[in-house]
Amino acid sequence: MLSTIVFLPLAGAILVLLAGGRGDRPERESAVRAIALVASLVTFAATLYLWWGFDPASAEFQFVEHRAWIPAFGISYYLGVDGISLFLIVLTAFLTPLALLSSWDSVHKNVTLFSFFLLALETAMLGVFVSLDLFLFYVFWDAMLVPMYFLIGVWGYERRIYAAVKFILYTMAGSVLMLIAIIGLAWVHAASAGSPTFDLLELYRTGVPPNLEYWFFLAFTLAFAIKVPLFPFHTWLPDAHVEAPTAGSVILAGVLLKMGTYGLLRFSFPLFPHAAAAFAPLLGVLAVIGIIYGALVAMVQPDLKKLVAYSSVSHLGFVVLGLCALNVNGVQGAVYQMLNHGVSTGGLFLIVGMLSDRRHTRLIAEFGGLKGVMPRLVAAFLVITLSSIALPGLNGFVGEFLILIGAFQWYPKLATFAAIGVILSAVYMLWMFQRVNYGEVRNERNARLPDLSKREWALMVPTIAMAVLMGVAPGIFLRPMEASVARAVDRVTGAQPATVRMHAVEPPGAPAARPAVMEREARRD
Amino acid sequence: MTNLYGIIPMLIVMLAGIAAMLAEAFRQPGERMPMFGLGLIGLFGAAAAAIVLWDTNASSFGVVRSDNFALFVDLILCAIGVLTMVFSHGVVEREGIPAGEYYALTLFGIAGMMLMASATDLLIIFLALEVLSLSVYVLTGIRRASAAGAEAAFKYFLLGAFSSAFFLYGIAFAFAISGSTRLDDVAVAMASGSNGTLALLAVGLLAVGFAFKVSAVPFHMWTPDAYEGAPTVVTAFMSTAVKAAAFAAFVRVFLSTLEPMQGHWIPVLSAISAVTMILGTVVGVLQTNVKRMLAYSSIAHAGYLLLGIVAANPSGKAAVLFYLAAYAVANIGALGIVALLGTADHQHDQLRDFAGLWRTRPALAGLMTIFLLSLGGFPPLAGFVAKWYIFAAAVQEAHYTLAIIGVLSSVVSVFFYLRIVVMMYMTDEAAAPAGPALSFPATAGLALATIATFYLGVLPTQVLNAALQSVQGIF
Repeated sequence: MLSTIVFLPLAGAILVLLAGGRGDRPERESAVRAIALVASLVTFAATLYLWWGFDPASAEFQFVEHRAWIPAFGISYYLGVDGISLFLIVLTAFLTPLALLSSWDSVHKNVTLFSFFLLALETAMLGVFVSLDLFLFYVFWDAMLVPMYFLIGVWGYERRIYAAVKFILYTMAGSVLMLIAIIGLAWVHAASAGSPTFDLLELYRTGVPPNLEYWFFLAFTLAFAIKVPLFPFHTWLPDAHVEAPTAGSVILAGVLLKMGTYGLLRFSFPLFPHAAAAFAPLLGVLAVIGIIYGALVAMVQPDLKKLVAYSSVSHLGFVVLGLCALNVNGVQGAVYQMLNHGVSTGGLFLIVGMLSDRRHTRLIAEFGGLKGVMPRLVAAFLVITLSSIALPGLNGFVGEFLILIGAFQWYPKLATFAAIGVILSAVYMLWMFQRVNYGEVRNERNARLPDLSKREWALMVPTIAMAVLMGVAPGIFLRPMEASVARAVDRVTGAQPATVRMHAVEPPGAPAARPAVMEREARRD
Repeated sequence: MTNLYGIIPMLIVMLAGIAAMLAEAFRQPGERMPMFGLGLIGLFGAAAAAIVLWDTNASSFGVVRSDNFALFVDLILCAIGVLTMVFSHGVVEREGIPAGEYYALTLFGIAGMMLMASATDLLIIFLALEVLSLSVYVLTGIRRASAAGAEAAFKYFLLGAFSSAFFLYGIAFAFAISGSTRLDDVAVAMASGSNGTLALLAVGLLAVGFAFKVSAVPFHMWTPDAYEGAPTVVTAFMSTAVKAAAFAAFVRVFLSTLEPMQGHWIPVLSAISAVTMILGTVVGVLQTNVKRMLAYSSIAHAGYLLLGIVAANPSGKAAVLFYLAAYAVANIGALGIVALLGTADHQHDQLRDFAGLWRTRPALAGLMTIFLLSLGGFPPLAGFVAKWYIFAAAVQEAHYTLAIIGVLSSVVSVFFYLRIVVMMYMTDEAAAPAGPALSFPATAGLALATIATFYLGVLPTQVLNAALQSVQGIF
């Protein structure tokens, strides 16, 4: 089942290549687009089916596939999902058709290759989220860079080559050190167990000598921190976002950034719990700096895409803060916020893409008074904006609220500073919204812009529906992830000495942590 | 008769070479001779012989042993040879290279390389080294009208002769302490540990000789000039085959015979490996000629391969074998494409020649990208598994610093591989003319190299296990 989901897009990508034939053939464009869209929609349907079959009560990995791959080194083809990765998969499959659809009017240069790379990227992204073998994970992790590099470099805006090369080198530089740490970890396991393994669940149980543990943790965390991007490793992000085509930005913000936070939660923290506990305050402080810095820089951006890019730095800071709190509220909020950010920032980039398709500019100053010209588009814009600044009743609120609770239980001061970021995000988003949409139409060229087309309706309706659904019924998402989050938190805090654990264990009344704690007590006996 | 089994693979290739030479000699002016076919028959025959001889450990005259290690390298060499042949088909006539000499020398070179991989006597290794070097010197300058070719061949010859002298001197010292040039006798003398200075001199001089042939820093000076000046098909051939043969002998001499001296040579080779990786990639970034760029890339790859020797464990030895195979298919594929795009008056080796290639030759641009990404170490391609394997061997011996230098320099190398990709896909410059059409053998060769690149990257288990087995028996 999981293999099917992961490789469906790749199969679609190969079909696209076959249908598109050699070179740039405009007459085959619509066939290629149809195949790509169908492939991505089928994948989305398959992920919904996966969700339907997922047992929400269990913290174990489900739909597990385990086959030997390179047995001499303990490398296996090992896939599985838990409540954390399940929704990230659904999110990935949800955003890819939107990304494809968003490019129908804006991408005309070699549509075949464009669709090929986007679908290949989807396979790599899905692979990252379901891999339970570190080698396999690294393969998907690194393979993902290539299609993204092409999407930015070939179909991006003016400074696309610079942005594409910066993106790939920056991310690679971080991840190769993780490769060394992965290999080192396998040999550490070999020293105690006799043979190396890359099996994540085995490695969770491997004790790493303290001096190595800290280095390995730093290597893993650097790779993920660059991806997130955590302040001060964020400098590649504005370039990549601004230069990428709309579809690339949607995927970049919607999914790629989550791989960083997902990696922290799945790999860095539970593999190296002592180092994680030692470094969590530092990461938390960096996250809060990122929240405030991202918000302040976003405020002064003249370019819509840059503004949304810096707002991502700020929002992802919240996610990292929630993860660092290492309690169920914080981590659950963080995972939820990953999904929120995917939907709302994905939506924002879609809207910015629509504006830039119409006007071929993304400068805020070029717009103004759009409300009277395109009332429907502006209405959609408003909902997405409000979801991004976490208005209660929309998706962003639930995640930020949980994160702040979690952070408050951990370090109240950090939570206080983070809360400033909530206010700032309302300031920069609403100010931007006001400048773009209200007032008089000052620019002649804005006067007769067409409102949402049918295709754009198809982009906006699912996005807004998702934002509302996640805002009013968070339970359908939170419940399936609860057990897995509790297990993940327990993996980290369970390894700590008792005094450290005091911080992390839930206060009475939080139902999720209870079974995990009791289970741990039972195991100790 | 059984005494000859060990030399059957190289014998077959040698016979094919002689046949090609005779065919040229009896050729009427204007007549075409099937030398290309003869070469293919010889190489496929040698590969078949290598497969039949697998696990037999056939030994000839006590100085040549076709153990699995040698046979593994033989198979890599046969693959390189076949790919060279198919890429040369058409290119040789187009570039005005004399076909008879070209095919015969290539085959003689391969025979010498096979001998080098299976020799168990220092003098035979030297003999093999000379056979392969002389063939390659001539091949480098085979376009007699080209000044660059002649210059490259002369440089290569002078420095090569120099390095041969070092190597021979090393053999002399090894003979001085053991009274024999056989590897096992030398190993006994080395293990006794009683010949301090002489043994160190032997190890040092042999290391210099090998370092020249694998183009490790600071003995790499000839590489960029020779690679740039040679016809591109020859560059493809020597950048892969010479490296494979030299590394095979390097591993055999240093990791079995000279293993007792490990404490002395590991620090030296570690340093060489580190500067080779760094210099190869950093200088590679500055190049605007694709052949020169790939020359520096091949220097960097020599650095990675040295990591496997420095690790000095079974994984390291097997990793060298696997790396040679992965590097060979990708590098010969990339240089093969450069060769196939060239014509007599235009080499198609400048970066800007690749501008807009995806519009004029989408399939070639795509394959070039695959080979370059494999050289850069991206999954799921051969180069990734190879690099991973080498680094795994180094980390196993706690060579963390070297491994980190290795991975970081491979990030830098990605930068210049991507420069070609940027040129092919992303610049707005006008596309160059489409270049000559592909012949059927060349298409088949590209397909084979691509399949091999994916096969070694996605399903490496069989080849990895074969590499592991082939190093177990002899060290």
